[in-house]
Amino acid sequence: MIRRKQRNNEQPTTGPEIIYSANSPLQTPGRFLRDIRDDGRVVYHVGRQLFIRQLTVQMRQNLLGYVWMLLPPVVTGLVWIYLGKTRIFGGVNPAIPYPVYVLTGLFFWQSFVEALSCPLQQLQQARPTIAKVRVPHEAFVVAGLGTVVFNTLIRLLLLGMVLAFFQIPLHLTLMLVPLGIGLLIVFGLGLGYLLAPAGLLYADIASALPVVLNLWFLITPVVYEPPASVAWLIAWNPVTPLLTTTRNWLLTGTLVPTPGFIVVTAGACLLLLLSWLLYRLARPHLIVRL
Amino acid sequence: MQTAPILSVDQLAKKFSTSFRRSLWYGVKDIARDLNPSGLRHSQTGNDLRKTEFWGLQDVSFSLNRGESLAIIGDNGAGKSTLLKVLNGLIKPDVGQVRIQGRVGALIELGVGLDPVLSGRENIFVRAALLGMSRRQVAPLVDQIIDFTGLGEAIHMPVQFYSSGMTARLAYAVAAHLNPDLLLVDEVMAVGDLDFQRKCIRHMQQYLAEGGSIILVSHVPYHIQAVCGRGLLLEKGRVLFAGTATETLDRYFTRQHESVTSLVERSSTRLGPDRPVVIGSLTVKTAQGTAAKSGGDVCVTLTCESLTSVDNVGWSFFIWTNDGATCITSAINEVPLTLKAGRNELVCRLPRLPLMAGGYQLKAAVFEIGSMQVLAHLGWEDAPERLLVEEDQVSTMKNMQATVQQLITLDVEWTFAR
Repeated sequence: MIRRKQRNNEQPTTGPEIIYSANSPLQTPGRFLRDIRDDGRVVYHVGRQLFIRQLTVQMRQNLLGYVWMLLPPVVTGLVWIYLGKTRIFGGVNPAIPYPVYVLTGLFFWQSFVEALSCPLQQLQQARPTIAKVRVPHEAFVVAGLGTVVFNTLIRLLLLGMVLAFFQIPLHLTLMLVPLGIGLLIVFGLGLGYLLAPAGLLYADIASALPVVLNLWFLITPVVYEPPASVAWLIAWNPVTPLLTTTRNWLLTGTLVPTPGFIVVTAGACLLLLLSWLLYRLARPHLIVRL
Repeated sequence: MQTAPILSVDQLAKKFSTSFRRSLWYGVKDIARDLNPSGLRHSQTGNDLRKTEFWGLQDVSFSLNRGESLAIIGDNGAGKSTLLKVLNGLIKPDVGQVRIQGRVGALIELGVGLDPVLSGRENIFVRAALLGMSRRQVAPLVDQIIDFTGLGEAIHMPVQFYSSGMTARLAYAVAAHLNPDLLLVDEVMAVGDLDFQRKCIRHMQQYLAEGGSIILVSHVPYHIQAVCGRGLLLEKGRVLFAGTATETLDRYFTRQHESVTSLVERSSTRLGPDRPVVIGSLTVKTAQGTAAKSGGDVCVTLTCESLTSVDNVGWSFFIWTNDGATCITSAINEVPLTLKAGRNELVCRLPRLPLMAGGYQLKAAVFEIGSMQVLAHLGWEDAPERLLVEEDQVSTMKNMQATVQQLITLDVEWTFAR
């Protein structure tokens, strides 16, 4: 027997009135914000459930399960350590062993890239569901974010072992590293959200993303300090201050952030907020075309 | 005092583009327009169709009270699912407004959101989460939900190995425990077996009795009549008719009948060596030529044309349900007749028409008695004739018979208990 609360005709209406109209949601900002608040209440539950699902499915479909989460960063790390030994690249701070420099940069960069790809990737995967079921889309992004954070933690664990192996001294600024990584993820997520509406409509975005990210990788001080001839590019690259500052916090103990850090931090937070609101506005127009 | 309707839809319209590329571009433009709240309101600019656009829904208005259920009826592409998507808040109207007082639950496309690798039981949590329930809220309901699915041990099997009917059972069971104020149901029972269909219908009836409201999209007349009191007929995105569910179904079948008639009218009337006999018409009317009434005295008249004189001819007529799915009864005359060359009129009398008031289909055949070879038929390859039986007089008994949706009334001589 189904348990259900008894309704009757005199029962007052539950919750506020829902209105769907042709007008822009920005004409009724109060309602727009209330919808966001209502969605916000369930996003965590749904996102958590979806995250657990993703992990379970990954475990079940792979014989090696979690090994696949550990293996890619280990392999990239080993490759770069080998390349470092051959001394192809120079110009790196001599106080820091090259493998440590590379692995730190790579792992931070990976967190940024994963966060950037997360919204579009998750929403693309959920296409059939979001086209048919009324569910806060943020839940899928939150679930994806869960995976990003999970992967980041695994990489940090590995990094910890590498630091211990190379006997890198621990600095107090280490405490700030999660903040730095968090900002990289916030910036990535903001960009990812900005791309999501266009990316759900046009497949061009998904095709262009790897190309752009590869180029971006080359003008960011991830595995080497780029030569002075492209200094102007590096200066305008918003990932640089976030990445170098976080790396300094971890490896050298320099507390003062590199130039542009504050501006990029503020910009990243603002970008995430605005691009997320833009996605919410675009949502009904996207669903029609999924 | 009349309470406010749980749902009111006012002059709703939604447009779509036939060109994929353009539709994407219009999407970008619409998003840009939504970004500018001080610009022109959509309700003013939304009325114009852009290149390659058409109205998927236009000027749809209706309202629904608590405890009421409405069937949306119409052909494929009439706009039924679009309407449900707008009511569910998935897509946005281009013109008009929808107001809902309360929580909305939707049973649309049951299979989505289920993960094939996870077991049925695990999927209950995922699906419930997608519908807005936390793990804590679902946990105490899991046993009830599993019981409702009737899947037994299969609940521990990955959903990948489920049939579509089993998937529907699982998804319906979760949604049935959500307890919304308004439930939108889109053609979900079609894949389930009879037991599941009965279960769904019982659940919906119980839900209505408790004050819930339903909007049902279905092509199965039985489901519509069992669940819905009211109906809305959509055609090409417009409301063609609104009334009781039975009236709306009647109207729908009449429309279909009309469109079929206009298509095949010509082909059946040509008399020639390959068609020596052609049936012109079949009518059921009173002797005075007025419309047939339930329980009244009526004449069945078949007119046909024959190329030559034919001996040893029999004829028959068949009364079918309005949807053309079931033959209710038939009568076959095996007394040999002779058709003369030219026009013939074959008549018989029904002293008490047993049909309940409503719409029916009529079919007929003329055949040779010895060989049972059909000489001409009406209603199989071409459109059947339509019969509209009127109510004789309203009575409590008739109302009761109408409630159970009976088709015919038997002549009964009641005897005292012995």
